[in-house]
Amino acid sequence: MVGMPSRHARLAVLAAAVAVLWGTPVLAQETVVVRVKLIQGEVPTDPTAPIWNTIPATEFPMSPQVHWPKRILQVTVKSIKVRGVHNTKQIAFLLEYADPTQDPADAAALEFMVGDKKAHFAHGQPMAQVEGGPVNIWYWRNDAPGAADMNAQGFGTLKKQAQQDVQAKGVWKDEKTKVRFKERKLIPRKDAKGESAKDPKTGDPLFDEETKVVEQDATGVWRVVFTRALTTTDPNDAQFQLGTFPNIAFAVWDGKKLESGDLKESGSQKAVTSWWYFNAEPPTNYSIYFYGLIAVVVAAGLEYVIIRKVRKGQPA
Amino acid sequence: MRGSSLAMKGAVLLVAVFVVFKFVAPLVTAPLPMSLIWLYLFLTTVGIVVYGTLSSESTEALLGPIFRFLGGDGLNGVAKFARLAVLVLVPLLVGGQTYSELVPSSQPPAENRTIHPAPPGEFVGLTNPVPNTPENVMMGKGLFAAFCSPCHGPKFNGNGPASDGFNPPPANFVDPGTIAQLQESYLFWRIKKGGVGLNVEGHPWKSAMPRWEVELPDDWIWKIIMAEYAGSGQKPGTWE
Repeated sequence: MVGMPSRHARLAVLAAAVAVLWGTPVLAQETVVVRVKLIQGEVPTDPTAPIWNTIPATEFPMSPQVHWPKRILQVTVKSIKVRGVHNTKQIAFLLEYADPTQDPADAAALEFMVGDKKAHFAHGQPMAQVEGGPVNIWYWRNDAPGAADMNAQGFGTLKKQAQQDVQAKGVWKDEKTKVRFKERKLIPRKDAKGESAKDPKTGDPLFDEETKVVEQDATGVWRVVFTRALTTTDPNDAQFQLGTFPNIAFAVWDGKKLESGDLKESGSQKAVTSWWYFNAEPPTNYSIYFYGLIAVVVAAGLEYVIIRKVRKGQPA
Repeated sequence: MRGSSLAMKGAVLLVAVFVVFKFVAPLVTAPLPMSLIWLYLFLTTVGIVVYGTLSSESTEALLGPIFRFLGGDGLNGVAKFARLAVLVLVPLLVGGQTYSELVPSSQPPAENRTIHPAPPGEFVGLTNPVPNTPENVMMGKGLFAAFCSPCHGPKFNGNGPASDGFNPPPANFVDPGTIAQLQESYLFWRIKKGGVGLNVEGHPWKSAMPRWEVELPDDWIWKIIMAEYAGSGQKPGTWE
């Protein structure tokens, strides 16, 4: 009979389990919402402003754009961290992602729906049976000052707005960071004899799939800040109300120049996400506490009336 | 329970209804929303009140213990403490409920997703015109590997290397809840028209599925469909 392990041994096993779980990289987002925190004073336009270190990030995995040709199936940026702040008038988003090289054509974009109609995340491409709306795209490129405030409603319709309301600034730093992504391997299956196992019906070789989230060291980080007023006078702009959950999508281009002279990623060849959400934190509404207190008083008063009638022998 | 008052039986019944729908039902089906559980509790309460007020005797049996408990006369020990707790907790619960109803939600609105919306009429009942031969299946698998596996995965399980950024994720064909429940004509519609081809009831219209009619001829799509069934170990749904 195996005796119970000592208390120290059990504690060591528990500590090891905690350490393993603590150190296991997880790619799934903590939340699907970018929490845009309410701050006092001006929103930061500098990607290196210290206030960004106090804002929690939401990380989104990225995919190659596959919806439309021409597409590529490998992209540099595997995930993107997003932070947001607002001061009830201006809103700022900080995008942070690993890119080993700083290139003139490196670029990033945010995308929002304009108006109440749903829009497809792929440039607001018209939907066959659903009347969709346009998208508002905020675009930053390393070799161009500021940002471009654009609209699209389908591929090939991207157009810069007459009224430019968005500002952007990017800073690339040659610093170390961690990149998390899902690593997938197909491992040939072996039969009892140690030979390649085959499907008995088709004769195809059989594979097992191994998927795990890995964390790798990387060098080179882009931080890009986009800022704009929460609401504008331009009907082509997305308008943001505090406390609501507008959709948001992200795109990133690695503008590295290949030996062929082509850019590694450009145009529709980019890393993207589909629609997620952001929420601009509303100011604390103290009237909620007041209404809760009124409910307590009314309920207590009702109890008093009922008990009084019960004691008088007159059930309510 | 024999000999206990109708009020006590009603209280036990309400607790039992809550426990069954809140904790037992999720063992065999999806968790029920609290709004539905509250509705069931309300209906149970209405039933108890109707049953308990059918005669003057049953009314006394139902309401008498409640009034005596609320009045507090003759209560002592645990019962006295329980009465005090109820009188304090009820207003606090009402206040808490009011607060939770008014406080802004920190979660995005729930999106009802229609997994398999009805296809347009022109795509209903089509039969695969490509013969299901080993050669055609093999070609279909090649086409699947080239065009579909980046998202749907080489093992047909939706776990392709390009799938991570998309919400909803690409379909897992190995799951018996996907293509095994659908006819080939349905797949032909979804592959040909893609995410933007979804109809009005196909919300929330966030699919990243390409509109493959732009790039692939119809017979390639039919071959891909054969490969998806063969590779995932599923069979097309039929009317029989």
